[in-house]
Amino acid sequence: MSNENKPKGQNSKLGDWFRTFDSLKIMKWSVYLFFFLFLVLPLFSVFLVSFTGQPVNILGSLVNPDIMATNIERLSNASLEHYQSLLGGGTYFYALRNSLGLAISVSILVILLCLPLAYAFARTTMPFKKTLAALCTIPLIVPTFISAAGFIIMFGRTGWVNTIYQSLGFDGLLINAYSMTSIVLIQVFFFFPFALWPMVAAFKIADMSLEEASNNMGSKNWTTMFFVTFPLAIPGIISAALLIFTVSFSDFGTPIILAPDGLNLIVVEAYREISGFFNWAGASILTIVMVAVAAIFFWLQRYITKNKDYGTLSGKPKGMRLNDSKWVTRSLLVYTCLILLIPMFVLLSVLVQSFATTWGADFLPRGFTIAHYATVFTRSGDNIMNSLLLAGGALLISMIVATLVSYFVVREKTSKLDFMSSIPLIVPGIALGIAYIQTFNTAPLQLTGTAFLLIVAYAIRRMPYMIRSTMGTMMAIKSDIEEAAVNLGASKLVAIITVVGPLMLPGIAAGSILVFVTVIKETSITVLMAPADWAPMSLMVFQNLLRGEVYTASAMAMLIIVLVIILQTLANKITKNSLY
Amino acid sequence: MGSVKVQNLVKKYDKATALKGVDLDIKEGEFYALLGPSGCGKTTTMRCIAGFEKPTSGEILIGDKVVNNVPANRRNCGMVFQSYALFPHYNVFENVAYSLNIRDLYSGSMGQRAKTFARLMSRRLSKPTKEIQRKVHDALEYVELGHLAERGVNELSGGQQQRVALARALVMEPSVLLMDEPLSNLDKKLRNTMRTTIRRIQQDLKITTIFVTHDQEEAMSMADHVAVMRDGEIVQMATPTELYSSPKDPFVADFVGSSNIYEGQVMETNAQGNPIVKITDNIHLVSDTRTDKKDVKVLVRPEGIEILRKGSTVKSENVVEAKVKISTYLGPTIRYDLELEGMDVMVEEEFQPNTTLYAEGDTVSVHLPMERVVLI
Repeated sequence: MSNENKPKGQNSKLGDWFRTFDSLKIMKWSVYLFFFLFLVLPLFSVFLVSFTGQPVNILGSLVNPDIMATNIERLSNASLEHYQSLLGGGTYFYALRNSLGLAISVSILVILLCLPLAYAFARTTMPFKKTLAALCTIPLIVPTFISAAGFIIMFGRTGWVNTIYQSLGFDGLLINAYSMTSIVLIQVFFFFPFALWPMVAAFKIADMSLEEASNNMGSKNWTTMFFVTFPLAIPGIISAALLIFTVSFSDFGTPIILAPDGLNLIVVEAYREISGFFNWAGASILTIVMVAVAAIFFWLQRYITKNKDYGTLSGKPKGMRLNDSKWVTRSLLVYTCLILLIPMFVLLSVLVQSFATTWGADFLPRGFTIAHYATVFTRSGDNIMNSLLLAGGALLISMIVATLVSYFVVREKTSKLDFMSSIPLIVPGIALGIAYIQTFNTAPLQLTGTAFLLIVAYAIRRMPYMIRSTMGTMMAIKSDIEEAAVNLGASKLVAIITVVGPLMLPGIAAGSILVFVTVIKETSITVLMAPADWAPMSLMVFQNLLRGEVYTASAMAMLIIVLVIILQTLANKITKNSLY
Repeated sequence: MGSVKVQNLVKKYDKATALKGVDLDIKEGEFYALLGPSGCGKTTTMRCIAGFEKPTSGEILIGDKVVNNVPANRRNCGMVFQSYALFPHYNVFENVAYSLNIRDLYSGSMGQRAKTFARLMSRRLSKPTKEIQRKVHDALEYVELGHLAERGVNELSGGQQQRVALARALVMEPSVLLMDEPLSNLDKKLRNTMRTTIRRIQQDLKITTIFVTHDQEEAMSMADHVAVMRDGEIVQMATPTELYSSPKDPFVADFVGSSNIYEGQVMETNAQGNPIVKITDNIHLVSDTRTDKKDVKVLVRPEGIEILRKGSTVKSENVVEAKVKISTYLGPTIRYDLELEGMDVMVEEEFQPNTTLYAEGDTVSVHLPMERVVLI
């Protein structure tokens, strides 16, 4: 821009800035503000509180000098003393140790369990592959606290499995539902699909020619498998293990239901600190620890997959020879079915209980009734409605934000937004909840205990999934279509609304359904933040379980599961992408 | 209203400089072609005019208004994209109506605006106004697509899509029509038809048109004026005939048609003051290009060279003997690749039914008329 042509040379910069300040820029700044307010700020204040031990009202400091003074005083007293209980001997130390132990054992067990499974799906002609693959996604559909409840039906003191066990002449319980063992088992059998598909991919990608070379040199098939195939798949396997670690470490549903009194786990500990004792310092320290651990493992996992090119994974690799030995495929089929049997039994137990009159220490309930469903529909209609409204609200927010974020990231290469919007991936639900409760506890933005904050929390937590979905479709829209709209007179914003938006619809729709589904399943944030008059279905199940109203809890749980299955099928129909 | 002026336009990216000071002066109603190889900056120039790129420096005037700070959506430049960039979620009618709807969206009462917005989101929500219907149908009739208004754009052939894109740009009555390689996705036959169609419409509407292409035939056959670009600069601006007969630069000469180009030195001038150029010791040619330079490039177009047959008038100057290397029959013309003291000479002769073709190895006399010997 040559300044000499302009009469007011010195004003031209400001003038330019104003001229280019269109509605799109306002949108961009709004998105930034949204992430700042509801993601960066809460995490940052939790970080501060972990040192001060008392709430730090950052927003308040900005509008009120008195609050500012108090905060500064609190900050000047900041110390590491609250972190001491993390050291050897402290309660938090044991909580962290137990949680790490849990996550590590679950990861290892899942990998061991998945090795034959992944091999079966990737490298053999195992019969019923498609059906089994579909069944393998079912564990992911069930919210973990429902699986935990199902586990109690099986392995509780009067659980039917333990009943059978005792009737066979054994003493005591086969497995105690309220124990570390059962937590591990639930997580292993309900999280394994997270690891299975990356591992299948890893097995498919391993270079066939190397295997053939090995066979040519006279190795037997099984030697090749152990010394060539598995080692080649190792990066993929490690990455899957790290993923499982993060999922297990942040899982709240299982431990909150099954952890016995003596067993400290970090998520449960954090939940008790905040909702039981309002211990700001403790809750923040645990939050920081959770985020840090999840971040490290998330980063490790990214780091390992980064150098792996899965881009060539289109269809079947050339010359893939599948193992069709009858002995191998049949034993793998039996193995797969056995693995799937456990989550199925858990689900079945919930289903049977939801129709049971009473179900004590017998193999089957005494009688069957649909009374629990009637109760659910008459008494808890509001909860169903709340769930739908909350999920709808979260969907709306994440839809708008995700669409804009994908637009800015793809078209304007705004990598800062890309990074910011992926932060929620490393924040466990319970940690996000604690951060929110602390940050929005006081004026000027007093939102704690409102449905709005709950909706925002849901939206932020599921934002990465929504963005992944919209970003894909956004990349497929060529920029000249949008330029054409602008050329024909539309402002950028109008072009986005009338042209880009409709073209992104499939991605938005698929993402929306996934957000809706996960919000309905969401436990940790719900339990922590849901206001009493906005209690959704998941909270209802949770409270009924704690109160011992197991039959209605099961009926409601079945309702959630059915809803989730329907919506998930719909989402898959829309995206038409299959996992295998 | 419709003239376009570009003054010293510079566009720099992080590393590369795409435009190094481009000047254009396009009169109202003119058909102007920007011609050049890929990466020469022709598309960047057009995108700067359309407002999609912000120039690093320089000015762009549409009419007599500086538009540097006018956003792309208010420049009223109709653009036809190389990929056509039709909106896949709209049918033909809605594609063409888009600009009219957008215009209504920014003016009129709130109720009307709401209706227009609804119409943009889905055809089921609101019917287009009478005026829009008329204008769109006129535009579609104009490109002979009136019968396809309700089709989806993906059901159309390439040529039809091209026409929709053209109608969509024309319906907004733009002050300038910009076309970015609009014919490059069509097959040869269709390209010829579209060339005539575009030229006809341009002449009918007297609309200022800027046409970007890398195909010299396209540029030469359609445009009133051609600007040849290379490496972010304009090498020559001229009418197609000027460009062909007296290119300023070997690059231009080569780009706008096949040519024989040799190195030569101006030795002296003859009685008429025309320079005599030495190409080899034995070959001296007279040219009617006046020049001050000593070292020159000598350009002779293949069809400018005449093969002398027995009985034709003997010329006194610029006659040389050459040997036929290859003779190629091309239908309307015959091409001879001749050898002249180790140099290749390309000659193109019109095919006459009663002449015999020369065969390989024949020796022929060729005449290079002085007015066809161009010194650069």
